[in-house]
Amino acid sequence: MEFFIAFLNFGLAMWLAWRHQPTTALYVFFAGLIFATALFMRHATTELPLSF
Amino acid sequence: MDISAQQAVRLNALALYAISAVLLVAFYWQLAYDELPCPLCLLQRVAFVAMAVGPILTIRFGPKPLHYALVLFAALLGASVAARQILLHIMPGDAGFGSAFMGYHFYTWAFIVFVAGIFAAAVMLCFGGQFSRSDAADATPRRGQFEMGAVALVMALTALNAASVLLECGFASCPGNPVHYELLQ
Repeated sequence: MEFFIAFLNFGLAMWLAWRHQPTTALYVFFAGLIFATALFMRHATTELPLSF
Repeated sequence: MDISAQQAVRLNALALYAISAVLLVAFYWQLAYDELPCPLCLLQRVAFVAMAVGPILTIRFGPKPLHYALVLFAALLGASVAARQILLHIMPGDAGFGSAFMGYHFYTWAFIVFVAGIFAAAVMLCFGGQFSRSDAADATPRRGQFEMGAVALVMALTALNAASVLLECGFASCPGNPVHYELLQ
């Protein structure tokens, strides 16, 4: 489910960019980037203290 | 030597086709060989999709350094994920995850492509002429079928990836080593 949200997030950023909403697209892009980084820490660093 | 805004838009469309090709190969492998992507593999696909946002903005609004920065952010995240997966399987005797393609596993190819993306964005940033708005005809770049097709293709592949991952993981957290589609059970 978490990856579905990530794909949906960047799909929304693309859609907003195409629909002439560049500022909102940027906000959505960076929100997605933070979310994807959190997913990276969740799934990739289970043996590090960064994991949650 | 410099490039115009129109040429930059054309090159960004080409980048979208390259991203689409990567996503298509991953999809082909998933469907033809029934190899479901692991969480790190999915994260790399997410990063490829994120890399497409910058070029779409360039095609829509013309080239800006910010759009290339978005590509760099996404490619850095993707390269970090791919490097982490390479390191997970770097020990001698480890067969790696999934099948290999031309001698390298897909996460190794992904790392190479992300680094190539960083390199390409850096090279594009070297050509400042594309950012000048002195030429009125160049202010709003023209979009032909080549550019529109690239945007449509990458958006369609993003939607397909979203649908595929929903089928694979269902409404729960994705398993570490998925072997079947959760929603098709």
